[in-house]
Amino acid sequence: METSSKEEYTIQSFDLETQKLLKTALKDPGSVDLEKVSNVIVDQSLKDQIFSREAGRICYTIVQAEAKQTNGNVFRRNLLNRLQQEFKAREETRKRSTQEWVCLVSFICNIFDYLKVNNIPMMALVHPVYDCLFRLAQSDALQNEEEVDCLVLQLHRIGDQLEKMNMQLMDELFNLLRDGFLLQDLSSMGRLLLLEILEFRAGGWTLSETAQKYYYSEVTD
Amino acid sequence: MSTHQKYRYENDCKPDENRKKGASRWSHCRKRGADGNLRKSHEVEEPGKCSQSSHRPESFTTPESEGPVSRVKNWGDEVEAEEMRSNVRRDMHRYRRRILEADFPQRDRKISSGSSDSRDSRDSKESPAKGDLETDETTLIRRQKQINYGKNTLAYDRYIKDVPKHMRQPGVHPKTPNKFKKYSRRSWDQQIKLWRVKLHAWDPPAEEGSDLQQIEEIDLGEIMDFELDVECSADTGSQCPTSSGASLSLAEDSFTGTPKKMMKIEDTEML
Repeated sequence: METSSKEEYTIQSFDLETQKLLKTALKDPGSVDLEKVSNVIVDQSLKDQIFSREAGRICYTIVQAEAKQTNGNVFRRNLLNRLQQEFKAREETRKRSTQEWVCLVSFICNIFDYLKVNNIPMMALVHPVYDCLFRLAQSDALQNEEEVDCLVLQLHRIGDQLEKMNMQLMDELFNLLRDGFLLQDLSSMGRLLLLEILEFRAGGWTLSETAQKYYYSEVTD
Repeated sequence: MSTHQKYRYENDCKPDENRKKGASRWSHCRKRGADGNLRKSHEVEEPGKCSQSSHRPESFTTPESEGPVSRVKNWGDEVEAEEMRSNVRRDMHRYRRRILEADFPQRDRKISSGSSDSRDSRDSKESPAKGDLETDETTLIRRQKQINYGKNTLAYDRYIKDVPKHMRQPGVHPKTPNKFKKYSRRSWDQQIKLWRVKLHAWDPPAEEGSDLQQIEEIDLGEIMDFELDVECSADTGSQCPTSSGASLSLAEDSFTGTPKKMMKIEDTEML
């Protein structure tokens, strides 16, 4: 199976040896140590923000390749269990480094988006993802633009899927966001980001043309 | 695999899913875990996890209801269980559709022979009435796991490559048991056993260094090749390697568990 150019692009952030490992994993998963591959991917996704948002695709490809070649799911199992460990340690991670925390959330959400089981999102990840988003909606996190930015990014990408899996939790989350918007002392950017996501969901997870113009067009003054 | 050591499961776990993992009530009697590694008898694995398992995990992840499950489950297992359930449900839909087609065949086309474990809806004698399907998910999943063990063998791979579905003769060629039919537990388990024994006829010739029985099979492989020269001339239309297997198994219909290849030694000695 050829490595598509998109995958080529995302693995460029790795050193050459690791790039080679990943390329082999994509083509011939049975020949590599898939546990090692999954660790390499998780490690990088915690460091590299861009990678954390795109790694889901590579993971998906490796899972498919392994299933086809050996009918196994060693890679997926190792990936998920490692992810679970990181998830359990998320509060410490957040204290240690906001960037790592934000990368972790992006990565978990990206995995939720890409790694589906018979075209249905993995139910096991629904509550963990919500846990992360709820954490980002707490008042201390809302003060922090980096975290708000992460929160709205995830909601743009997977909000509609999450809502389908659990409407009640999404309602609760948005109650928090609404309260945060109204009651909290936010930066103007933070406020703008929240307003946009509130409108986005209200519009059925899409932005009306007027809203699009309002939020995304350059103001020429 | 290191994950099995990190999670301590309580005794109310479902034995099927957690058989390989960590300690159970009786595991102190066993020298090795199910995965073959030596147990360290007095070592407490990850005491931090023990206390964690006794109260609610940080995430309020509620497992999908499939009966009592341990709260401390790893995501890898959960997703595999989801996948199995989802596959079984999909199979059920397909099977129900196939039965309906069999009951009400469309005039324009023949009943298609799809590829799945449960193909015999055509035969009205065998086809269960719609109410007589096995629908209990736990049972279906257990049966599917047993089927998967059989299908994950080299023998099965070789078999399906060798004998396409339309060439299969009932009784001669192994047929995957139909998990949707009502059977008692014993009956089902016996069908699986017989099926797997039959599949052994397609075991690959073994490589050096494997255990004793397989070493004998190396010689048998050579003998089989010799036989082929003799058999193929007589047997024109069929594929050679397994037609010998198939025709011999016809003669020997009692599945006593003796590998068929053992029987062939005696046959060739008679030549």
